[in-house]
Amino acid sequence: MRVLLVDDEQELVATLAERLEMRGIEATWASDSNTALERVRQERFDIALLDVKLPNMNGLELKRLIEAECPWMKFIFLTGHGSDEDFVACSAESGCDYYLIKPVQLDVLMGKLNEIFKGSGGPP
Amino acid sequence: MSADQDTTSDLGIGFFGNMTASISHEIKNALAIVNENAGLLGDLALLMDKGRPLSAERLTTIAGNIRRQVQRADDIIRRLNRFAHSAHEPATRIDLREVLAFTVALAERLATMKGITLVLAAGEPVSLVIRPFVLENLLWLCLQRLFVAAGSGGTVELATEAKDGCALVRLRCGSGTQVGPVAAEAARLGQSLLAELQTEIDTDADQGELLLRLPAPACS
Repeated sequence: MRVLLVDDEQELVATLAERLEMRGIEATWASDSNTALERVRQERFDIALLDVKLPNMNGLELKRLIEAECPWMKFIFLTGHGSDEDFVACSAESGCDYYLIKPVQLDVLMGKLNEIFKGSGGPP
Repeated sequence: MSADQDTTSDLGIGFFGNMTASISHEIKNALAIVNENAGLLGDLALLMDKGRPLSAERLTTIAGNIRRQVQRADDIIRRLNRFAHSAHEPATRIDLREVLAFTVALAERLATMKGITLVLAAGEPVSLVIRPFVLENLLWLCLQRLFVAAGSGGTVELATEAKDGCALVRLRCGSGTQVGPVAAEAARLGQSLLAELQTEIDTDADQGELLLRLPAPACS
């Protein structure tokens, strides 16, 4: 399973990526939307974990751009608050596969990654 | 003031909501990083139990990361506390440049989200008697509109100046930025704030500047 983590808090995604790697998941991170788009053009990912609030472009906009290039990818949104109106807009409009509220509970994230990956039929 | 224009209180509630929502996101981010570093320590301890060596340098780095985020959260909460108290603070003698610095600290995250860099220009202290919360609110009302006018990748520079016995705040986007419509909208929406502060909005179109002119009686 290959996962792309996108959040402008670089230390957050770098540490989260390291912890996922320890659990056998190939994780790459980006701290801005443009870098995230470069990554998906260079490598194949199964799932992206996107912060809802990113500089310049919100998570929903980034999801649409990634989906246009990688229609097989699944998405998890990361939000500071469950009641975040941005998240409500994202989930209603784009049907994101799941959302997590910061701070992330790693066992919950692992469970969701495995569930989404199995549901997508695994590697192509 | 017409019936459809917001009072100082209405505008103040909206401003307070914008800022506290942004601050709560900042705190969440700091906590999320502390959480990941604590989790990483736990992961490394488990690996150490299985015989994988763990260097003191690695532990020191992680401890430093946690300490830095705790300091960051503490700074954010101090800012929140000061902001909360300023909401009911009466008119008091302030240094205009210091209020600008505080407003920049409050607005920085929201500016970054729009791809805008906020810069506080060097300058001499300018002392005046004013309600700081109302001035912060007016600055934010102007900044929100300047972010749109400057566009992603732009810079807004804030500067103060004492001129002819009064205080000037310069909000500079650079030449090419259409500041006229920004001034007109800020004057319309912020009418109650301008009235309370006895402040006029002007522009320097060549410089791409919005000017707030605080009247002579308020200045020292």
